Amino acid sequence: MPKTTRTAGAVTRRSGGRADLLLTAALRLGFLALLLAVWTIAARMAPPGLFASPLAVAKAGWAMMAEGRLLPAIAASLTVYVTGFLLAVGFGSLLGIAMGTFRLLGRTLDIYVMALAATPRVAFIPLIIVALGLGLQAKVLIVFLGAVMPVILNAYAGVRAADPELVEMAQATGASRSRILAHVILPGAVPYLVTGARIGATIALINTIVAELYTAISGLGGLLAIYGSRFRMAEYLAVVVVLALIGAIVTEALRLMEKRLLRWRDA
Amino acid sequence: MIAGGSKLAATGLAHRFGPMAVLEDIDLTVNKGEVLAVLGPSGCGKSTLLRLLAGLIRPAEGKVTLNDAPPSPGKGSSIVFQNYRLLPWKNLRDNLAFALPDWPEPQRRERVDQVLRLVGLTRFAETWPAKLSGGMKQRAALARALAPRPDFLLMDEPFAALDAQARELMQQELRQLVSGPDGPGVVFVTHSVDEALVLGHRIILLSPRPGRIVARLSTPDWGGDPRDHPDWPELRRRMWQQLRESVLNDPNSDFHHFDGRP
Repeated sequence: MPKTTRTAGAVTRRSGGRADLLLTAALRLGFLALLLAVWTIAARMAPPGLFASPLAVAKAGWAMMAEGRLLPAIAASLTVYVTGFLLAVGFGSLLGIAMGTFRLLGRTLDIYVMALAATPRVAFIPLIIVALGLGLQAKVLIVFLGAVMPVILNAYAGVRAADPELVEMAQATGASRSRILAHVILPGAVPYLVTGARIGATIALINTIVAELYTAISGLGGLLAIYGSRFRMAEYLAVVVVLALIGAIVTEALRLMEKRLLRWRDA
Repeated sequence: MIAGGSKLAATGLAHRFGPMAVLEDIDLTVNKGEVLAVLGPSGCGKSTLLRLLAGLIRPAEGKVTLNDAPPSPGKGSSIVFQNYRLLPWKNLRDNLAFALPDWPEPQRRERVDQVLRLVGLTRFAETWPAKLSGGMKQRAALARALAPRPDFLLMDEPFAALDAQARELMQQELRQLVSGPDGPGVVFVTHSVDEALVLGHRIILLSPRPGRIVARLSTPDWGGDPRDHPDWPELRRRMWQQLRESVLNDPNSDFHHFDGRP
């Protein structure tokens, strides 16, 4: 009998969720319309040449696409962004987990990681250029250095936040250390790992543009530099819109992944 | 030792955390198929006693033996915790399978199905723990403890978090589960006099910290409902009195200035 009530409750909640989703979508679209309206009015009021209306930006974006300027730039930026970000997630998670698992390693390193995380990584760009030049490697390293810190720190915190009662339960079943790590500590650290990846993804996108501005000009950051210095505001803003879209898509993808990984939580 | 009968024993057991003594001079024996209830006020070291018996911690003095060897976690004994401690990211089947790390897959699956049936949770095999009620979670935790066929179940106030009805049902269920010919021995830690009397074949009463055994008692064969048995009121009264005295005699107790009369 308790089962029926529980199932019924779950069904109601699920359909309520669908209505919620529709409402959210409608409100978001409404807000987008509002933004576009404000943008249009602001463009009318600004002196000519300093700003561009949404329509002008759309036209400019379309033209850049047709002339084959936009897609190669997106591809170049995504290569830097995705490579640097994935390296940061892979290396950062491993290091953070190792620091949390081997307490001595963690205690030795954590103060340095935190110091490095607090240092503006832009300060290293001249050094990186001296060491690696102006090419892809230098750009990827700049992205990596920005994204890796929150990944390390969150993975470290996630392992240390492991539930001691679940660990004791596992010990009582005779589980080995590696079994406890795989079945108890790492699954419990997933929310932290996802948070680290999400913060890292945002910093990685920022650092992609910084890298493209400070090393050999290329990609979307390169387009920003070119159009910005020539006051081609329509094209400039088209690039900004593309960057916002990339950011939104990546964040949303990570959110969906988090939901999937943590589906045991929504009960 | 009797052939075929497993035995869990503690002799001269004492333990302390830093300068604080938590257990002193504990001698006890539990045989397979027998329920020993450990009754005592909060903070008398009951949980520490279970961890010592399980081999999770080493005693400061004295020794624990399971079938004449020092205990090792997961070998011959299982713990049932008060707060279930199911892994929230595993469904029930995988939670139970977690207690059987070295079993080959077909046997493991079969054994998990078997214990799920035993506690009536077959329909919920694929369910996340977060979707279950407290009673169901505790039955799952009990099934997980029974899965490796331990000789001894070490239960740490397992039903204290349940409502009165669920607790009553779980007590009955536990009595049936362990009364079989192949039933495990049970050390059942509780702070409830009634629960100790209902479940325990024998009861030991611990004093407040440091926990020492201040009374030992055997319960009669209750037959049906223990509360209908003629000895019930008298035994219950005596246990309460001893519990009250041990708390009142404790100089550290908040209650020692009372005269102990209700």
